[in-house]
Amino acid sequence: MDLLTQIAGSVFSLGSVAAMLGASLLGVLIGALPGLNPVMAIALLLPLTYSMEPLIALGMVAGIYNGSMYGGAIPAILMRIPGTPAAIATTFDGFPMTQRGEAARALKIACWSSAIGGTASALALMTMGPLLARATLHFGPAEYFWIAMFGMASIGVLVGDDALKGLMAAVLGLLLGTVGLDNLSGIPRYTFGEPWLLGGLDLVVILVGLYALPPVIALAEQADLKGLSAAALKLGRARLGWAEIRGLIPTWLRSSFIGIGVGILPGAGGNIAAFLSYSAAKSASPDPDSFGKGNPQGVAAAECGNNADNAASMIPALALGIPGNVVAALVLGALLIHGLQPGPQLFHQNPALVGGFMAQMLITSLLILLVGGAAATRVFAQVQRLPGVLMVPMILVLMAVGVYVINGRVVDLWVMFAAGLAGYVLEKLAFPLAPVVLGLILGPMAEQSVRRALLISRGDATELLTRPISAVIAVATLALILWPILRAWQRRRHGAKAP
Amino acid sequence: MKTLMLGAAALVLGTTVAQADYPERPIEITVPAPAGGGTDTSARMLATLLEGELGTSIAILNAAGGGGSVGVTQFMQARNDGYSLLATWNSPITTVPQMQPTAYAPDSFVPVASTSQTAYTLCVAPAFPAETGEEFLAELAANPGRYTYGNDGIGGTMQLAAERIFQARGIETIAVPFGGAGETLQNFLGGHVDIYGGSISPVLPYAQSGEAKCLIVTSAAAVPALPQASGLEALGLGDKETLLWRMVLAPAGTDQAIVDRLIAALETTVNSPQYTEFLAGVGEVPNVVTGPALGERLQGEFDALAEVAQSLGLAQ
Repeated sequence: MDLLTQIAGSVFSLGSVAAMLGASLLGVLIGALPGLNPVMAIALLLPLTYSMEPLIALGMVAGIYNGSMYGGAIPAILMRIPGTPAAIATTFDGFPMTQRGEAARALKIACWSSAIGGTASALALMTMGPLLARATLHFGPAEYFWIAMFGMASIGVLVGDDALKGLMAAVLGLLLGTVGLDNLSGIPRYTFGEPWLLGGLDLVVILVGLYALPPVIALAEQADLKGLSAAALKLGRARLGWAEIRGLIPTWLRSSFIGIGVGILPGAGGNIAAFLSYSAAKSASPDPDSFGKGNPQGVAAAECGNNADNAASMIPALALGIPGNVVAALVLGALLIHGLQPGPQLFHQNPALVGGFMAQMLITSLLILLVGGAAATRVFAQVQRLPGVLMVPMILVLMAVGVYVINGRVVDLWVMFAAGLAGYVLEKLAFPLAPVVLGLILGPMAEQSVRRALLISRGDATELLTRPISAVIAVATLALILWPILRAWQRRRHGAKAP
Repeated sequence: MKTLMLGAAALVLGTTVAQADYPERPIEITVPAPAGGGTDTSARMLATLLEGELGTSIAILNAAGGGGSVGVTQFMQARNDGYSLLATWNSPITTVPQMQPTAYAPDSFVPVASTSQTAYTLCVAPAFPAETGEEFLAELAANPGRYTYGNDGIGGTMQLAAERIFQARGIETIAVPFGGAGETLQNFLGGHVDIYGGSISPVLPYAQSGEAKCLIVTSAAAVPALPQASGLEALGLGDKETLLWRMVLAPAGTDQAIVDRLIAALETTVNSPQYTEFLAGVGEVPNVVTGPALGERLQGEFDALAEVAQSLGLAQ
């Protein structure tokens, strides 16, 4: 009990509360501005807090991290421009809702879904952290390979109407993923002697270009000089009725579960959590064809999934001292600077601090409702009222700044513009972009994992299937591939019987 | 013509003034690693303390990629006026050029000072049939190709550090490259690889709790934090020492007076209680080698690693 009062005392101290509130607002802003992303913001701001109390620094991390995951949804819904890579799946149904005049409703659903996903994730972190962390240790290269395969199988759900074009897009993503120094042999692939290509194409740079640039070009094409009127924005009251909330509960539960699962496993991240949640919601829906056309379930799934990734991604870092992503690595770095040794003993040695950080992850998730619902959505959404002649150059500058800061090199700007033009052409030719992203992220993960697994098994491929967890994921992958085929077949049979 | 001469005069004047009053404007330190990593954290900590020592502000510029070679290559274009410095760990200078064509060599820079260092360690599960470094190497030698060891990446300093030891004893193991010490640790704790190979700080809590048995460190001397691990000197392999260490370098042609000023400032800063305390937290010790001695250290390590990379078939 003493510990709880101590945690409450430090978490609700002035500094910590100010840090959480300020950072949540800032996080929503960073998320809402395309190009600027939370990882970069945290990396830049964290060193400034080294001299402050640890919980002020951690409160800031929690606020930016959770706030930005929601913030990314704002331009995704209003303008089809994902504010962060994790908000890509939010554009699928969020923007069609806006076109239907339901922007306010979509934003509200995104806000609630983000808060719920974040809360579920923080609760998992607080109650089952060490347990889940130990569970992740059972995932070796073979299991990672099958997780990547499972993710790729979900491409089938995301390809849209033309399966062939979907597959071609996925192969393009796989090809882009092979660029760079091969991590297992040390041989450079498709680098053309350029040292900056040795590290491969930077994922965030490609994603910002591919997804944010085509809508900006589309905006420019409209040659809009006036901007939206306040009335047309339709941000007035949109209440979520109980019936609607009840309908979203299964999606929230499923997406929270998926987000937490993806979060505790190092290497994937919020965008994969959002994609998988989205494809799961679509598979489970009685009307999968309504997805991509403004189904609120799609917005809820994506936003709940990417926020559920956040707190869970801290689990291996806090419980084992193993950072699963860059933000977790930054948090561990900050703890080290404050003289704390990350590892399994961290919680026992500093329960007040670790408990406090967990509480901050929870509180900042709930703060999304306040910051996102009341203030931020209304304020930041007003940006949409700017005329295109102002908005297009503004967004381009922001994107350029954001992309440049990631690695501090000019060439990334060219990569971003090239990816954007490619995205624009692909969209015009009706190629889906989601498979490109999945191929780019999951391709290297699948390749490296399977090669590591085969190194460990001395080339014996049967070991990929004989391990229990591998076998389960392999079967699930197969089911995911067969499921739409079975359903289509079943529907055709029913259709044949009905008349 | 007149303006040209005036300009030239101003330039000459400018340099002399700059040397006398150095530093009179902010310094930019390039870190060839992403923000938040070990190199970045220690550089930022160092910069904070250096700011007080030099009386100017210091900006950190992260330029990650290519195992550090991207940032170092970029730094080759920096002006040698003393306001552009490089804070790097040894791998981009001594290891990466073994496998990739780089635009620089160990002697492309003016060596200023090394700052800190730490050894790599090799650890096994508690049930592994060895209790000392000597028994560990004997077990590996007796079972060629049986054990897998995780490392930081193919051709990385950590792998080369381990292979130098293994080759000296004719040991054959299977190297499994991961994306970094964290990933290696996860796979080691999960039992997916037999041996952890990586830096000390991530595995230290597990060595203390008994979940990991660290039997070798890659430094010549033993490391107090890992009492069970043998140093290489004790194994008769003292000349195979390979460390992870950090340093500050300046562009070629930087004025000696400026370099001397920097060396003095770094010596004070690195040995300050705040910095040594920070280093202890991340499992590193201060180590200041300056000027030409630092240049020799770089070249010596480069040559030694070239030999092992050659024999592994990794060299470009």
